[in-house]
Amino acid sequence: MIERKLLVKARLGLHARAAAKLVRLTTTFRSKVSLRRIDGGPSADAKSILSVLMLAATAGTELEASVEGVDEETAMAALDQLFAESFGEREVEA
Amino acid sequence: MKEQPREIRYKGLGVSEGVVIGEVLRMVDGTVQVSRWSVNTEELEKEQQRFRQAAAAASKKLRTIRDQAQGRLAREHAYIFDAHVLLLEDEKLLGDIAEYITAEHVNAEWAIKVVGDRLTALYSEIKDDYLRERGSDIEDVMQRLLAALSGARPEDLQLAEDAVIVSRDLLPSALAELDLTHARALATDSGGWTSHTAILARGIGLPAVVGLKDFYRRTKTGDKIIVDSNRNEVILHPSLQTLAEYRKQTEQGSPRRAAPPSEDRGSLRTKDGVEIKLRANIELPSEFDSVEKYGASGVGLYRSEFLLARNGLTVSEEEQRVAYESVARLAGADGAIIRLFDLGGENTRPHFRQPEKNPALGLRAIRFGLRNDSVMRRQLRAILLAAASGNLKIVLPMVTDVNEVKRAKAMVDEEIAKLASEKQPYGDVPIGAMIEVPAAVMMAEKIAACVDFFELGTNDLVQYTLAVDRGNDEVADWFRTLHPAVLEGIDRSLKAAQRAGIPAIVCGEMASTPAYAVLLIGLGATDLSMTPSAMPRVRRTLAAIDSVSARAIVEECLQCEGADAVENLVHERLASRWPYLFPASGLPKPRPYQ
Repeated sequence: MIERKLLVKARLGLHARAAAKLVRLTTTFRSKVSLRRIDGGPSADAKSILSVLMLAATAGTELEASVEGVDEETAMAALDQLFAESFGEREVEA
Repeated sequence: MKEQPREIRYKGLGVSEGVVIGEVLRMVDGTVQVSRWSVNTEELEKEQQRFRQAAAAASKKLRTIRDQAQGRLAREHAYIFDAHVLLLEDEKLLGDIAEYITAEHVNAEWAIKVVGDRLTALYSEIKDDYLRERGSDIEDVMQRLLAALSGARPEDLQLAEDAVIVSRDLLPSALAELDLTHARALATDSGGWTSHTAILARGIGLPAVVGLKDFYRRTKTGDKIIVDSNRNEVILHPSLQTLAEYRKQTEQGSPRRAAPPSEDRGSLRTKDGVEIKLRANIELPSEFDSVEKYGASGVGLYRSEFLLARNGLTVSEEEQRVAYESVARLAGADGAIIRLFDLGGENTRPHFRQPEKNPALGLRAIRFGLRNDSVMRRQLRAILLAAASGNLKIVLPMVTDVNEVKRAKAMVDEEIAKLASEKQPYGDVPIGAMIEVPAAVMMAEKIAACVDFFELGTNDLVQYTLAVDRGNDEVADWFRTLHPAVLEGIDRSLKAAQRAGIPAIVCGEMASTPAYAVLLIGLGATDLSMTPSAMPRVRRTLAAIDSVSARAIVEECLQCEGADAVENLVHERLASRWPYLFPASGLPKPRPYQ
């Protein structure tokens, strides 16, 4: 199992579209991926968009990701990149 | 998770009398109702299957939408549909719903509603504005699931027996579609005394508390609730003790529907012999019975917009004709006044690229009709045809000058000519003007010269004269029916009608409040149209007063400097002149202050 801290940088937080991208990514891996707010709360299944949305992660929220499974290293790298790129989000949202 | 939530009371404004104990049924603005029925153990598997199929169908449909959107929209925007697709396939979401069906032995629709409401309630707790509003994504997905299910709905479904409709702002069209035999009460976040929904609720005798501000998001479908319109409040999760108190109270009377019909029918006379006509304001078919029940002298205002609830502006001539014929039959010898579609803003939006910024001042009512003459001509034809077998009149909404009246009348003449050449039977239809904007008041003498009657819409007259949105709680304190400017406007309009020798009917909410009705009589009105359930009250009051005293009081009011002064004066004068009618303590407040 790999664990890593991730920061939500996207201005609008982990909203529906960002969450959709996240789920589309995590579901390509076989590993179990979960996210938990550093400031407490239950851990969310990163393959369920509903769980991800319920994290209510706004911009600046710190999350702890844990990935466990056969492809955990590639999965974590991809996850890291997605967060680093702010979910490919440009500042276009109204 | 199962712990008993605490009782909470919310203050609002009781706009339609009554006390009701029931269960919350949440309604997203203007969407279809959801019913609950139980599913027995043998049927559960079938229900689960029904749910799975609906979820699959909804997701398939949404995938198509998403793929099309990806072609047309920027990828960033198409992604929102992908989020919805993922939600529709989310094992946690589907699992929660399936679990609820089995655990509670209920239909899939109800389970979707309950689970969806829980999620949106959770979402509404989020501090961040942007994220919180995304709760609507979940609602949207729930609506899709419900729509997919409705393809295979059993026939016998009904609204739960004691449903209390809870909504942010219930659109009148949504209210119109409700199965009102089962809805017991209404509780909404927005709205005021004269909001359209409040008027409708009073019309059908449905207890209602509005202006609850932030209530909707705190509720879940299925929650216990007490709506107490008399105390201007609703009680969510009432305690056993509160429930027991209310049960006792509701058993001891306080009937849900308004007072039984009075023996008196037709017109009435004041003590000094002035004959007053009382007509009915109606909109929904469910209100039709009350015209006969309360002995109204026909229909003073038929709000035709109800006809648009189902098919929008495409409503056919035939469907309209049938509706107008039934209104004419209902109205009998005194006839019915059909107000042409009084719509704008939301209702007409499909016709615009963008929503109007200021719909109250926008392309609405007669303006919309003149601009979209195919809609107006179809309505005129239907009324003319229906008039062949009944007594009908037409009133033009929101007129501001003579030109609009002339254009509308020309259209009527052209449709008559067409019907005549087609050898179709039609009837003669007098044309009147709604006096409801200040411009019409200032033009009253000129407009009176070219119409057959006036109809005073006091709700809009107050709103437009005082520049106060009647649906906006923030300015509710400025919505003052007894503002001297409003009284002045009514006075001038009534005098203009009198001089021109045409009838003037006062049809706003003002007429249905006894204290205000007295003032209207003082201003010289003799023809009032109101919500039928208000008639017994108004009838009792007007039969006991004399027009001379009423006039003296109004003359004083017209001299006042502001609404406060008028309200105090009315309070005092009515209580001292007719203490048995208006006991100082029990006098209806001009309008509730908060």
